[in-house]
Amino acid sequence: MTKNHRLNSISAGTEAVFHVVIGLFSICCIIPFVFVIIISLSAESSIREIGYSFIPRAWSFNTYTYAIQRLPQIWRSYFNSILITVVGTFLSTLICALYSYALFRPDFKYRGFFNFLSFFTMIFGGGLVPTYVICTQILGLKENYAALIVPLLVSPFNIIIMRTFFKSSVPLDLIEAATIDGSGEYSTFFRVVLPVAKPGLATIALLNSLAYWNDWYLSLLYIRQNKILQPLQALLMELQNNVEYLNRMSASLGASAIQEATRAPTQTLRMVLVVLIVVPIACAYPFFQRYIVAGLTIGSVKG
Amino acid sequence: MKKILALALALIMVFALVGTTAWAEEPVTLKIWFHGSNVTPDASQKVLDELNVYLQDKIGAKLEVIWGTWGDFDQSVVTALAGGDDVDMVFTCNWSADEYNRYARDGYWVKLDDMLPEYGADLLSVIPEGIWECAKTNGYDGIGIYAVPALKDTATQNCWDVNGTLLAELGYDVDAVCEAGLDYYSDEFEEMLQKAKDYKAAQGENDFYPLVVEPMVLERLVTVTSIVTGDLPGAAVLSFYYDKDHPSNDIGSEIVNKFATPEFEKYAKRTYELAQKGFISPSTQNVGTSNDYLNACQQSASYLFGTQSYAYGCEIDFSNARGIDVRMVPADAPYMDSTSGQGAMMAISAVSKNPEKALEFLNLLNTDPYVMTTLNYGLEGFTFEKNDDGTITFIQENRANYSPWRNGMGNIRILPPTADEGLSYWDDFSAYYNSAEALPYGSFIFDNSVVETEGAAIANVFAEYAFGLCSGATDPDTVLPDFLQKLEAAGMSDFVAAANSQMAEYLAG
Amino acid sequence: MNEKLPARAAGSGAPNWFQRNKKTLALLSMVTPGAIWLLLLRYLPIGGIILAFKNYKIFPRNPTFWSNLQHSKWVGLKNFEFLFKTDQALVAIRNTLLYNIVFIILGCIIPVAFAIMMNEFTKKFVAKAYQTMMFFPYFLSWVVVSYFLNAFIDAQYGMIPAAQAAAGKEVISWYTNTKPWPAIIIIANLWKNVGYSTVLYLAAITGIDANQYEAAAIDGATKWQQIRYVTLPHLRTMISILLILNVGKIFAADFGLFYNVPMQNGALFSVTQVIDTYIYRVFITTGNISQSSAAGLLQNVIGFVCIMLANAVVKRIDSESSLF
Repeated sequence: MTKNHRLNSISAGTEAVFHVVIGLFSICCIIPFVFVIIISLSAESSIREIGYSFIPRAWSFNTYTYAIQRLPQIWRSYFNSILITVVGTFLSTLICALYSYALFRPDFKYRGFFNFLSFFTMIFGGGLVPTYVICTQILGLKENYAALIVPLLVSPFNIIIMRTFFKSSVPLDLIEAATIDGSGEYSTFFRVVLPVAKPGLATIALLNSLAYWNDWYLSLLYIRQNKILQPLQALLMELQNNVEYLNRMSASLGASAIQEATRAPTQTLRMVLVVLIVVPIACAYPFFQRYIVAGLTIGSVKG
Repeated sequence: MKKILALALALIMVFALVGTTAWAEEPVTLKIWFHGSNVTPDASQKVLDELNVYLQDKIGAKLEVIWGTWGDFDQSVVTALAGGDDVDMVFTCNWSADEYNRYARDGYWVKLDDMLPEYGADLLSVIPEGIWECAKTNGYDGIGIYAVPALKDTATQNCWDVNGTLLAELGYDVDAVCEAGLDYYSDEFEEMLQKAKDYKAAQGENDFYPLVVEPMVLERLVTVTSIVTGDLPGAAVLSFYYDKDHPSNDIGSEIVNKFATPEFEKYAKRTYELAQKGFISPSTQNVGTSNDYLNACQQSASYLFGTQSYAYGCEIDFSNARGIDVRMVPADAPYMDSTSGQGAMMAISAVSKNPEKALEFLNLLNTDPYVMTTLNYGLEGFTFEKNDDGTITFIQENRANYSPWRNGMGNIRILPPTADEGLSYWDDFSAYYNSAEALPYGSFIFDNSVVETEGAAIANVFAEYAFGLCSGATDPDTVLPDFLQKLEAAGMSDFVAAANSQMAEYLAG
Repeated sequence: MNEKLPARAAGSGAPNWFQRNKKTLALLSMVTPGAIWLLLLRYLPIGGIILAFKNYKIFPRNPTFWSNLQHSKWVGLKNFEFLFKTDQALVAIRNTLLYNIVFIILGCIIPVAFAIMMNEFTKKFVAKAYQTMMFFPYFLSWVVVSYFLNAFIDAQYGMIPAAQAAAGKEVISWYTNTKPWPAIIIIANLWKNVGYSTVLYLAAITGIDANQYEAAAIDGATKWQQIRYVTLPHLRTMISILLILNVGKIFAADFGLFYNVPMQNGALFSVTQVIDTYIYRVFITTGNISQSSAAGLLQNVIGFVCIMLANAVVKRIDSESSLF
């Protein structure tokens, strides 16, 4: 294996260059997050004196203690985010895989129609208000978990991507063989096709989980009274928007704005929330990655 | 497409019908939507449970509250109202996204004139005539009252915010300086800034900037101009010059393009000059950091002069919060106009199925101290304690979970004073605001929807130039002519002309 | 390839309708959940498009959304006017198009190159680590990114001006000087999106049948030749699909990037104002939902036309890689 591997790989020099390029970029990607962690650990007084800085004048762990002890909503929001992400990712990935599998099948009679049905909505939509009206008044999507899950269930973009994955990784002979063996369509799909399409499936699941984890807009629209259901990202955005709004409106609000602003959450608290949001999903990432990168060996090493 | 639309419409009709027939049960539930709240679900539940017992007894209604926050109100209220959500009462004013006058024009609010005598008799007597006058607007159903104005800080006064402690350290007689007032163009003003800068530099603070302001407020303060109600939200391009000692005096001014006056040019030049001399921080001049910087400087008391749109008693709050002697030096006398009169209001939504009940509730909220106190401050023993002298003290721990925006709710003058405010606080508060004079154009409101396309273009030109000029970041000699020319191209003349012709019409009858 | 239909199970006698259409029914049932969702959440609201041609007002006698819509006045194309009437709008349109062209080109080349490079790493855990790091930008909102950038270039506290001042050089004022901003915007955009696309391409590479590489290696192809003749052709479909989809977004911009990162400074508008920020600034002044629907509709129509054109072009070159 080692021998084959040598034969079939790029030279050590080239690989070093690749490492430098990708490595530098990756570091650039992580630095702002390090920055966020530093701010979240900075003393509030330091920010007041020297602004946001990589080297604060004083460190403090206070904001973490405060966030964890004084904001009961943080734990609830954590729970909500996880629930929504798990349920949402499972359902949306399943629906997407089924839909795009049918589109991938060249022998599906209505393939063109359903392809266009989904593609068209990627470009055209009714706009915010009509969608909102349908969701709240007809589908009952308000003040409940469904309102945070259903509107993101289907993504035409993901359907197209998944179809492309099927196209490039699932040989049609495989399906044909399974059918000849007497396998039903669903059993072919689950037993034969999905295992082959694992990297694509994991990618779509990853994208879906990110979409659910990162979403705050649905909460803004559909969760107003029952704020116990607010996911973490929505909590953060609310704090962030409060500050932004008070800034923008300070001329209209006069002294009120200043009094309100002193009550608003501190900059460090906002950064603490960013950390609390990013860490769990970053930890979940390797789970998906196992499937995406696992195949890497196939291309370069397997011989 | 037509078929889909027809299908959609049919479906919605069915649902709407089902929705209406399912209604009609006792007691009535009223849904109210506030702005700027900071209330947790648990605290809200606790307070409302108790309040609702009282309300059912009083007016046979239950209250449900949407505690809109600063950050979410604007974004969600627009969608919800346009989508016809079932809300009975909504916060509105002339600076939020559900702008009172525009939404009245487009039919979002119930007209109250005919209902007020029957369901809001107490309201009519509690709220002064002048404030009702401000609430009158040209709505879809003719001129009238489309929302109940809040009896709060109902006048505007621009003040210099002076760091008295620092001024004393510089060797000035603070009382004398404050008594004499400040002149932005005087050499003394500049000298004080310079002394403060040198003084701080001697202490090793090299990036001290003595003039920490809100640029757009500074401009109005120095040029003595008012906001014209109905000007573009977030992009005030109109000015009205008034008499700074007696705002009600007619000095023959009309509405003008804010940036095309000699006063503005003088202001911009002076500000640029002061900025060049290092009295204004670059952080003030950056839109994105300006307010954070302002807050930080105020909290750490690192400024000499600032600006403040005054609210009664705020110098005491500020002195306590900043740990210095904060002085407010008036630049003009307080005045009243629709901008302050419409600063916070409660409208009844056209969607409401019980507008009369809603008005009954608003009547109660604004006249019954128990209802106002409970909704605004929470419950005795939970968020506050009563003191023997009749004042109250907050229980900070719970108050932090139940802090609605006090001024956004209604008649706050019936609230009990806090121990910090002192027993006579609300009397003094009322006396101060009731003394304010009305501007010569009274409660005129500009309806800019007739020049909407121009307004849209102007707002973008404004965003490009105005802040830089008002904060002294850009040189008016080179930039101002460009700015004025682009404003003209965007239709500024038509915009100003429309405002003036409407005002003439308003004043004529 | 299209002709390789899976054969129907042989040996059934005179099949009834259900048996004859068994396969189609099974496949139809697979698209059903998605299709129902699309109909309810995407097609049902589409009637709202007429909002763009109306002056939306409440109909007090029956204030539900659809009845309001019915009773509002038709205003033709008036809601579209503000998009073309001023120089500002034209600058915004120009910026949007130019930035998007750059984004589309670089946003295609770089992730493909990265994916290929990462595929070659001998140590798999390193590739994994890189890949995880690349995803971090996706979690940081543009507001947070703007703070980060500000820490470098703030005129008062920033590290770069401080270093310049210390070195005795002239300090440039970043938030009023337009020159560096096109580069900043482009880098910020790539920084945020490259990780995402790289994962897509990497997953596509992963799906390549190992036998193809083996065969190529046996034929004596070098690694470069393998990339050229096996990997790239295999990625062709993914590349062209992502290209087509991005072309469809050519008239729309990432609002957060252009609004927050330059911290809304007017002096930079000539290089940072894009259609979405322009529309937003109009919306907060007019509050007219009809105008914003009009703008959205126009963006969609142009996007649709562009996608169709791009798709047609791709189809002519390689029918397998087109969208439909």
